[in-house]
Amino acid sequence: MRLINTVAWVGAVAGLAMSWASAATAESAAEIAVKEAQKYKGQTITIVWEAGLQALDPLNFSGPKWEELTGIKVKVIEVATEEMFTKIMQDYRAGAGAYDALNVIPAWMPDLAAAGALEPLDSYVDKYGYRDELQKIAPTYRDNQMKVGDKIFGFPDDGDVFVMYYRKDIFGDPKLQAEFKAKAGRDLTVPKTWKEFDEVGQFLTDKLAPQTYGAAFFRQPPYTMFMFEERFRNEGGKFFDADSMKATINSDVGVNVLTDMRNENKFMPPGVEQFGFVENLAAFLQGTSAMTISWPPYGRWAAGYGTDQEVLSWVPKSTIAGKVGYALPPGGHPELAAGFALSVASTSKNKDAAYLFIQWLNSEDISMQRVQLPYALRDPFRDSHFTSAEYQAKWPDAKEYLAALGEGAKTGLLDLSLLQTDKYEEVLRQAISKLWAGDDPKAILDTAAGEWDAITEKIGVDKQKAVYQGWAAKSGAYPQ
Amino acid sequence: MTASDRGTASGMSESTASAMVGASGVATPAGVAPDRFFKYWLIVPAIFLLLLVGLFPLIYSLVVSFQSLTMLEMDYSFAGFTNYIALFKDARLWESLLHTVIITAIALPIELVVGLLMAQLFLERLPGRQIFVSLLVLPTIISPIVAGATWRLLFDNRYGPINQIVGWFAGEPMPLLWTISPYLVYPAILLCEIWQWTPFMFLILLAALSNVDKSLTEAAEIDGAGYWRTFFKIVLPSIWPVMAIAILIRGLDLARIFDIIYALTAGGPGTMTETASIYAYVQGFQQFETSYTAAMAFLIIALLTALVTWAIRRMGLAK
Amino acid sequence: MPLMRRPGTVLAMRYAAAIVLTIFFVFPVYWLFIISFKTPDEIFAFPPVWYPKSIQFANYRVLFKDGDAETVWNSLVLAGVSTVIAMALGTICAYSLVRFKTGGENLAVWIISQRMMPPIAIVFPIFLLYVFFGWVDSFHGLIILYTAFSLPYVIWMMRGYIEDLPLELEESALVDGCTRWEVLWKVVFPMVRSGLFATAVFTFVFAWNDFLFALVLTRTEVVTYTVQVTHYFGGQSNFWAKIAAMSVLGTIPVFFAVATLQRYLVRGISMGAVKG
Repeated sequence: MRLINTVAWVGAVAGLAMSWASAATAESAAEIAVKEAQKYKGQTITIVWEAGLQALDPLNFSGPKWEELTGIKVKVIEVATEEMFTKIMQDYRAGAGAYDALNVIPAWMPDLAAAGALEPLDSYVDKYGYRDELQKIAPTYRDNQMKVGDKIFGFPDDGDVFVMYYRKDIFGDPKLQAEFKAKAGRDLTVPKTWKEFDEVGQFLTDKLAPQTYGAAFFRQPPYTMFMFEERFRNEGGKFFDADSMKATINSDVGVNVLTDMRNENKFMPPGVEQFGFVENLAAFLQGTSAMTISWPPYGRWAAGYGTDQEVLSWVPKSTIAGKVGYALPPGGHPELAAGFALSVASTSKNKDAAYLFIQWLNSEDISMQRVQLPYALRDPFRDSHFTSAEYQAKWPDAKEYLAALGEGAKTGLLDLSLLQTDKYEEVLRQAISKLWAGDDPKAILDTAAGEWDAITEKIGVDKQKAVYQGWAAKSGAYPQ
Repeated sequence: MTASDRGTASGMSESTASAMVGASGVATPAGVAPDRFFKYWLIVPAIFLLLLVGLFPLIYSLVVSFQSLTMLEMDYSFAGFTNYIALFKDARLWESLLHTVIITAIALPIELVVGLLMAQLFLERLPGRQIFVSLLVLPTIISPIVAGATWRLLFDNRYGPINQIVGWFAGEPMPLLWTISPYLVYPAILLCEIWQWTPFMFLILLAALSNVDKSLTEAAEIDGAGYWRTFFKIVLPSIWPVMAIAILIRGLDLARIFDIIYALTAGGPGTMTETASIYAYVQGFQQFETSYTAAMAFLIIALLTALVTWAIRRMGLAK
Repeated sequence: MPLMRRPGTVLAMRYAAAIVLTIFFVFPVYWLFIISFKTPDEIFAFPPVWYPKSIQFANYRVLFKDGDAETVWNSLVLAGVSTVIAMALGTICAYSLVRFKTGGENLAVWIISQRMMPPIAIVFPIFLLYVFFGWVDSFHGLIILYTAFSLPYVIWMMRGYIEDLPLELEESALVDGCTRWEVLWKVVFPMVRSGLFATAVFTFVFAWNDFLFALVLTRTEVVTYTVQVTHYFGGQSNFWAKIAAMSVLGTIPVFFAVATLQRYLVRGISMGAVKG
């Protein structure tokens, strides 16, 4: 009896130990990719990447590492953002087949997929066991930036989201708090609605200008276009009428948004209409604005993280490290502006090798390292990124920073993405430039809506309607 | 000596020369002048290259303009004149042509006159002339993209010196929004364009002026002619061939102006400063309306050809 | 002598005008160049900083280290070689057009019509052509392209300068027993030296400044300076210091070339000799 007990006991322990051991050696997507890629040793694959800072990731980190692990050389083809779409399409149309893997802005995916330039990835995902880790991408990116229709065309790889940055010290200043309470009858809190924002912004400018203004934004048309898309939807606007596919951006909501935006410029630094990404960044880092909205890098650089790196030496010195708070923009649903996804070109001659590279890049293990690169422009996009203890330790407020990004990832709004999105976006950009030039908002939006309708007609109302309905059904299309 | 005189003279020289070649002992078949092909040899390499690079795109664009190629649809079927008809109905296209004409009509004369005056200024000896001329050519060497970006920074209200300087003269801060205000965008663009390309006219005219036969001008001076009379009656006609071509080239380039405007205003506000090239870029490059852009290109070529042919006749360039 | 006629006054006035003009034309270039020495806070300083606190060459070092400076070299080679070839082929072609009226007006107009084509329209077919030839991302491919693009300009400009030449010199050379090629080389070319110089400068500049074709026809092997500079303008970054430093690097060689070759601006052979 006792012998059987011993055997059973040993057997049970052994069984447990073995299952524990096999669980510990269950392969991660990164490991699978590396293993499978061995058979392509010695080959070279090309990947199109945004030029400049973004490209440092594959040039300095992921490319060399991949070559070390698999023997596959990675040739990075740097392309300026405005030209990426064109070069990808031209290469595809000419049949040149020079690109293997691609970086693609999700809003372009319908056009690229419809033209046939992107390789559908479902079969590869199953072949190389990536379903699990794909699921662990933050839902907003995962459910909105991966598929066209029901086919996977890219892996979301960049958690671009608009965050509101504000000066904790200014908002926490007792004197200002008292004065505001006296004036407005409520506490000086970080604004949650645009109405509050206008109030707070004006107040702060009255008190602190010209040293500091209540807020500043990057008001150049390409950026403001995103802000308009965000704000318009937060205030309840819809881009199109779902049945008739007629543009409804010229509704009262739209007109109010434009009017308010222009009024806000009054309490911002003079000339804010010309601010681009870097001008706005400089203003914030130098303490000229008390609030601003931008992508995640502002938060890292304001804290001084990575700015000692040579490649970031163009970032103005932060005078506000430790004084920055993070919040969702007013309205609570931030724009997931732009973003990047990794894809495979349909004309690539090395599709498997290219696919394995992007699976490896996008995997839990490797993406965690990539988003923490001090010079990275890739922002956290996996659930695990937002709760990473390592990341949270990067600077004192990093925990709050990641929490804000995580919140944004949950409630974020998708960029409008249809067939020939660029045509619609161009209309919006022109509308913004007309707004700063002083035209009447209603007239601007009526013209814009008319132009949108003309574009829809040219593409084919039914065709576009189908795509729009697919887009509108996504969780991030309109605030739930 | 008129050009026709020169033609006759060279005709005479040719036969004399071929006779000379024969006389100096080079074996030539009786009666065949080897130099008859000389003039063709001279043009063959150039024409070959031009055809190599230029023929296929021309044919391709022509064919494609009658089809319906866009980003999404590679519809190679013959679509007749649809694209061309659409061109005529396209208000935005005609506005862009108007903008192009405005910019050309203003910038070209200014660049010509200022360039000419500058060339006159530096014609005679001046200590350090070499340095001056080299410095003055700098604007053209800066890539137009960089020039546009630099001027954008210069014009910035907060971080650029121009508003700062204007403020000094005005006595108070002047927040002029050069790249946004409808009243300032054209001056801004013109300023940048004239700044960048006047040195082109300057250098070319300087070269032309320095070739003017000094003995003629000296003779006129001795005869008592004033400075301006000498200039208009002797100097100008002498440099006219070069000057006319410079005007032609500069005019054609102005018609294709792109980088400066794109960097400063991207055609904005709205489409107020959108020139034909920018519109073609938006259509052809960003939105992949391949067929439509090809049709647009031919329209522009047709217009320019008509203009250039008229200009050549008027300016007597191809006699 | 009245004040206005005194050579000293005229010289002084000319000098003053020269300085004013130079300030106007050079100031933006100065502003660009000085950025390469500024810190980011000086670049985005309010009010603007006219002179940086210290001159340090870190930005230039970075360009050489990262290999960006190589793109300046690429552009120099492409523009330089294509200019030399275009000047040679174009000038002899121009001579033929002027002296022999080869092809008449039609040929001349056809040649200049090559410059009327909006680049946007032909960039894609040229890309197709180059994919076919296998010339994408190659030096010789772009050299051929730039040479072809420069030819109309060279031919037309040199037509003007050659038309200016009196025929007697060439005729007397022929009478003296020169072959036509020798006439070209020994008489015509030296006489149009100033025209050659002025034309060559801008032939170079036009090739140097090209962006669209360099963008579409290259990938990684032959990146030009103009394309590289656009990489510094990001949606989320702006390497102004690199832009400025690259521009300085790119401008210096051309500046020195223009400065040293300027002696050709002065007429080579005195025309007085002909008249006598």
